[in-house]
Amino acid sequence: MAKILIVDDSRTSRKMLRNILESNGHEIVDEAVNGQDGVQKFQSLKPDVVTLDITMPVVDGVEALKMIKALDGNSKVVMVTAAGQKNKMIDCIKAGANEFLTKPFDQQEILDVIAKLV
Amino acid sequence: MFDQIFGNYLVSSGNITKEQFQDVLESEGKIRVKLGLIAVAEKLMTEAQADEINKLQAIMDRRFGDIAVEKGYLSDDQVTQLLKKQGNIYMVFVQTLIDKGYMTLEEIDAALNKYQEEQGFTHSDMDALVSGDVDRTVQLFLPANTELCDKHCGIAIRTFIRIINSSAYVSKAYLVDELAADKFAMQALEGDHKMVSGFVGAGDDLLAVANPFAGEEFETVDMDALDAVGEFTNCINGLFASEMSGEGVDLDMLPPVFYENPVTISGNQFCVFPIHVDGKEIKFVLAIDTDIEVK
Repeated sequence: MAKILIVDDSRTSRKMLRNILESNGHEIVDEAVNGQDGVQKFQSLKPDVVTLDITMPVVDGVEALKMIKALDGNSKVVMVTAAGQKNKMIDCIKAGANEFLTKPFDQQEILDVIAKLV
Repeated sequence: MFDQIFGNYLVSSGNITKEQFQDVLESEGKIRVKLGLIAVAEKLMTEAQADEINKLQAIMDRRFGDIAVEKGYLSDDQVTQLLKKQGNIYMVFVQTLIDKGYMTLEEIDAALNKYQEEQGFTHSDMDALVSGDVDRTVQLFLPANTELCDKHCGIAIRTFIRIINSSAYVSKAYLVDELAADKFAMQALEGDHKMVSGFVGAGDDLLAVANPFAGEEFETVDMDALDAVGEFTNCINGLFASEMSGEGVDLDMLPPVFYENPVTISGNQFCVFPIHVDGKEIKFVLAIDTDIEVK
């Protein structure tokens, strides 16, 4: 089971992800509401997996991904995206994103993606 | 959707009571079965295949039958047969009205003609409404605007019906320069077009969107409930951006923004599309290539 940091500005999405992951035995080490907050919590908590929303205020998911990968090249980062963010997804792949999840969430897809990474 | 539109017209014009309309809708719901369920019952698809398509529908703005054909689970002919079995929802509505003795066929015809005349619809428009084609219905209720507006509103209404409430229906959209909003959740898109879309509701009306989307029971439209409405708007915009991307149009979504206190939305001829759900009117707002100010 994985220790997971959820980074998303949407309280709804954070809660949906937390409910699905916790009810399937994963541990949510913390939540962050923007990329900057997420990078700081990644550094201090060293989670097994980070879920990182692409569209966020302050520092967006693509920038946060670059910062996390610069801190730890082996980090496991799952980018969370709405449909239609093709260009941003390409940027994420270039920056080393490990997996993608699409909103609205599908429980099985989330569990499969996390299982692939840990 | 036309059963809801016409049924509400019959109530407001005094042809039937609210209770009779509710009774007809409940009976109709028992008769009407989802396409996937019929396909599984007919052994044309497995339950797993039907589930797979239901999940895909959450992230793809496509009809069940279209995806099933594309995946090779059903042929075009099989989809046509299943649609016939499912029945036209308006015809089921009319049949139920008659069976329950609330109206005769002649009375329904007369009311339908009056509705057509009042709305200024052509016979072809009425055929589209009665056929249950959501795309054409949405177009009929939109003001003469742009292709982008048609496309975005079509995706918004279809997604609303699919994810939020299958009984939702629309009334005529209009263009305004200013709109008073009690509560407002919106998201801007930038790139090849500058757009803003979102939902406005009075009092706690936006709970009709927030609660089913988040799977929660918010009691009031606070920032958490508005966040859920913003996330739903994000899903609609994502589907729209995805479709536009296929046409070579690039759009980036910005983080959703919420207004918990009354505001005035100002712009140049932006579209307001009323959506009716559970007796509440929610306004879908869409501004394309115009500056929007919220104060």
